[in-house]
Amino acid sequence: MSQPDSDRSSSDSSRRILSALADGDATDSEAARAFQAWRDDPDARAAWHGYQLIGDVLRSEDLASAPRADEAFLVALRARLADEPVVLAPQPRAEPAVVLAPAVANGAATTRSRARWQGPMAMAAGFLVVVGGLNVLRPFGHGPDASVAAAGGASAPLMASATAVNNGAMVPVGQQTPAQTKAAADQLAPYLAAHRQSAMNAPFQMPGNDLRNVNLVQPAQ
Amino acid sequence: MTMLNPDPDAALVERVKQGDVRAFEMLVVKYQRRIERLIGRMVRDVDLVADIAQETFIRAYRALPQFRAESAFYTWLYRIAVNTAKKALVDMKRDPVTTLTALQGSDDDDETYRPGMEPTDGETPEALLASKEIAATVNAAIAALSEDLRQAITLREIEGLSYEEISDVMNCPIGTVRSRIFRAREAIAERLRPLLDTREGNRW
Repeated sequence: MSQPDSDRSSSDSSRRILSALADGDATDSEAARAFQAWRDDPDARAAWHGYQLIGDVLRSEDLASAPRADEAFLVALRARLADEPVVLAPQPRAEPAVVLAPAVANGAATTRSRARWQGPMAMAAGFLVVVGGLNVLRPFGHGPDASVAAAGGASAPLMASATAVNNGAMVPVGQQTPAQTKAAADQLAPYLAAHRQSAMNAPFQMPGNDLRNVNLVQPAQ
Repeated sequence: MTMLNPDPDAALVERVKQGDVRAFEMLVVKYQRRIERLIGRMVRDVDLVADIAQETFIRAYRALPQFRAESAFYTWLYRIAVNTAKKALVDMKRDPVTTLTALQGSDDDDETYRPGMEPTDGETPEALLASKEIAATVNAAIAALSEDLRQAITLREIEGLSYEEISDVMNCPIGTVRSRIFRAREAIAERLRPLLDTREGNRW
C-alpha cells in the first residue's frame, strides 16, 4: 500500500531530522520535532533504531544484533522505567535580557534612592540620639528641653528602651537619682561616641558644635 | 550554520533532564548494543548480561540529574556499566545463587546439557544467523553506495568526524554533508528493512 505524498514527505522530513539528531547536529526546533516523532510515529522509531544499528555494524560487525532482541530489551526497560519517578534536573534560570535589564536598572535606582536618603536619615537618627542623650543627662527633666523631649514622640520610646537595656530595669527618666544619671551617662558615652563617629562619616554631617555640646553638658553636672 | 555540539547526545540528555522519559529510550536504543557487548566481556554468564545492562540504564536514568556533561554521555554511561558489572560480579561471588545459571552451571557435571545455559534470544542459532545477515547486508549496501555517500557515512560513523570536519575533508558545505549522510543511511536502511521487521511485523 503506497503512502500519500504528504505523509511520505512528512516521514522523510522526520527521518532527516532524526539522522541529524543522531549526529548531534539538529537545531532545537528540529530536536523537538524528532522527540515528537519518536513519541508518535512507529516508522520514526524504526528509523532511529535502523540508523543506530547501521552505525554500530559499520564500527563492528559483532554489534549486529537481532532486532527482536533490541526491541525486547527496550520493552523490558520501559516497564522498569514506568516504575521510576520522572527525573527532573534543576534548570538554570534563564532570564531574558529584556527582563534582566529593568531588574538591574531597578536595582541601581534603588541604590541611588537609598544613597539619596542615607544622609538625611543619618542626620535625623543622630538628632534623635542627641536629643535622647540630652534628656538622660538632665537630672530632673524639667525646663524647656524636657518639653521638647516629651513632644518628640519617637524619642521617648527610644530612651525607655536604652534605659532598660543598660540598667536592666525600667526607671522613669524624671525619677532617676544623680548617681543613676551618672551611671547612665557613663554607659551611654560609648553609644554617643559611636553616633558621633557615624555622623562624622555621613555625607551630611551634623554641625560639630551640637555634638560637642553633649560632652560639655556632662562635666557640668 | 549550525554549530556541532561536542557531545552528540547533549540534546537528548537535556530533554531527559526536563522529564521526557521517551527521550531516554532513544539513548537506550542508541547504546544498548555497545553496553551489552561491554558487559558481556566482563561477565561470562550470558543470562546476566541483559540484566546488568538493564540495571545500567536504570542507574543512569536515576543519576541523570547529576550528570554535569563534563564528559560525553557515553563515557559516563560506560563508567556506570563497568561499575554495575563489577558490583554484579562481587554479589555473585558473595551469593552464588544469584542467578539460576550460576547455580546450575556449578552443580551439573553433564557438560552436554546445562538447562540454565541455553542461549538467550540474542544467542539462538536463529538470532546469530540474523546478525550475520544484517552485517552482510550493511556491508553490501555500503559497497553499492556512490563514492560521495560512502565517504560521508564512513567518515561520520567509523572515523567519528563532525559534520564540520567532514565538510572540510570533502570540500563541500555542511548542509551537503548532512544530506549525504542521511541519504547513505536511507539507502542502507532500505536494504535492511526486510531483516529488521519483527516477527509481529509491528516494529517498536
